[in-house]
Amino acid sequence: MRKTVLFLTLALAAGSVQAQVLPFLSKRGPQQPVVQGIDALRAEFATLSGGTTVYYGPGNAVLTPPARTVLTAQAAWIRRHPEVVVRIEGYGDTGDTRDHALAIGAKRAEEVRDYLVLMGVPMAQVSTTSWGGERSGLGRAVTILVR
Amino acid sequence: MKRLSLAFLLMVAGTAAQAQQATAPAVTSVEIPPLTSPDTGTRGNEMLQIGWDATQLIASDLKQTAELMPLKIKREDYVSYPEVTAPSFGKWRPLGAKLLLTGFVQSRSDGRIAIGCYVYDVSKGTELARKGFVLPKSDWRRAAHKCSALAYTAVTGTPGMFDTRIAYVAENGVGDGKVRRIAFMDSDGANHKFLTSGNSMVMKPRLSPNASQLAYVSFDSGRPAIKLLDVGAGQERPLVSVDAINFAPRFSPDGSQIAFSMMLGPNSDIYVVGSGGGTPRRLTTSPAVDTDPSFSPDGRTIVFESDRSGSQQLYVMNADGSGERRISFGPGAYAAPEWSPDGQWIAFTSRNQYGRRIGIMKPDGTEETFLTNGPADDSPAWAANSREIMFARLVQGGRSALYRINVSGGDPQKVSIPQDGSDPDWSGAMD
Repeated sequence: MRKTVLFLTLALAAGSVQAQVLPFLSKRGPQQPVVQGIDALRAEFATLSGGTTVYYGPGNAVLTPPARTVLTAQAAWIRRHPEVVVRIEGYGDTGDTRDHALAIGAKRAEEVRDYLVLMGVPMAQVSTTSWGGERSGLGRAVTILVR
Repeated sequence: MKRLSLAFLLMVAGTAAQAQQATAPAVTSVEIPPLTSPDTGTRGNEMLQIGWDATQLIASDLKQTAELMPLKIKREDYVSYPEVTAPSFGKWRPLGAKLLLTGFVQSRSDGRIAIGCYVYDVSKGTELARKGFVLPKSDWRRAAHKCSALAYTAVTGTPGMFDTRIAYVAENGVGDGKVRRIAFMDSDGANHKFLTSGNSMVMKPRLSPNASQLAYVSFDSGRPAIKLLDVGAGQERPLVSVDAINFAPRFSPDGSQIAFSMMLGPNSDIYVVGSGGGTPRRLTTSPAVDTDPSFSPDGRTIVFESDRSGSQQLYVMNADGSGERRISFGPGAYAAPEWSPDGQWIAFTSRNQYGRRIGIMKPDGTEETFLTNGPADDSPAWAANSREIMFARLVQGGRSALYRINVSGGDPQKVSIPQDGSDPDWSGAMD
């Protein structure tokens, strides 16, 4: 069941072109409500958790008390929504060297995942990645994406 | 390329104050009469044309070096075929060049061409080196690069880096919409091509020593993972079959192994795996970020960076993971080490109050020298001759460019590439 929902979300998030490529999806029922569904879910997640991004001190992957507060609220919400999967994306410090930025971003994402799992989120519901020093702007952060 | 040579000239002519290392190399002048041909008629003209193109390329190669300086080449100076192997030194001595490089281009019945090169000491009237190549007509550039290397090695005793390849990440656009592709070219910029499509983000291409294989970090699964690409055949495969973030690949000097970073736990450790496949072997176990491994040229030692002390520092260990020891102790952080092909130096990126700068140190951590002033330099990569380093410099607007610098000093020179570039890697000399 979760797989189906995930498929729909991915296909719809990618837009109508994707839906044309996979025409069988359109036979599976109304698309429109699902689109609103994922957007509404994301909005609710952000509002009830106090944000989708947590920040770190320079060069470390240690969760700050404010970050723990946000993550605790996120974990509670994710546990109530077993139909979503969550992607945890880590970022390095701006100005860091390339590979260390990638590594520290990944370590930060792992810290967030471990914390969410500690708070009762099933491992299968969360995945991690790192963008290192790429996708500038965020820096020293982890973003938690509902998808 | 002309600008490059001028810069080197200025550097050599000027004081050594610019040079951060004490000794500026002595320059050896080279006379290069145009490569001649034993062929006659239309074919002869065609061979002479290839000979002149090759002569210009050799001169351009040698101009880029700090050690050799070609005298002005003139098309009408070409010599007779017998003079290639028996030069009349009396004719060349008054012109003042220390070296003479002669050569010929000859057509063959199988459609390929033969190119021969000879290097002479003009004042002593002796032959120093010779080399011949048989190759398809379209590959004349490679033979010309080999001739350049012949002269370079005769003077310096180190291999030339003319017939080498460069891989880097070509960047188009800025910000989140930036398109990144792995690009591949000859070290003189010829034969430039893109090896990935640009649909997903890529990082850190690393060439095998003979540039036949390329490892790079791909994000097309959504997480960073190393792919191994056969450059000629275009086939690629994941380096490891483990579902874990892995990055920072580097080939061993014999090409048989790849050291890399992988996160099987909460932090990145260094692993090594056969470039033909196999089970990764874990080398480091610290609860810190260990990354950017680089082999010594004998393959017995690995330098890497770790933040186990609280900041990134350089460490050296045996290739089996034993005997870890820290080698960097200056202020700030040290990262992105790469061992020079001659084993004498380790290049690195330093991060401290002066910004990000490229430097070199001995493998025991002594004789630390900074080559650039930053403030946003990264990813040093050695040339095959261990005399030059290519690196990425972040310039205004978040754009990145490639530069090369001579380790004996001078200003960095911008590398001419079609787009922006980062993450350079330089292959060994091709055979």
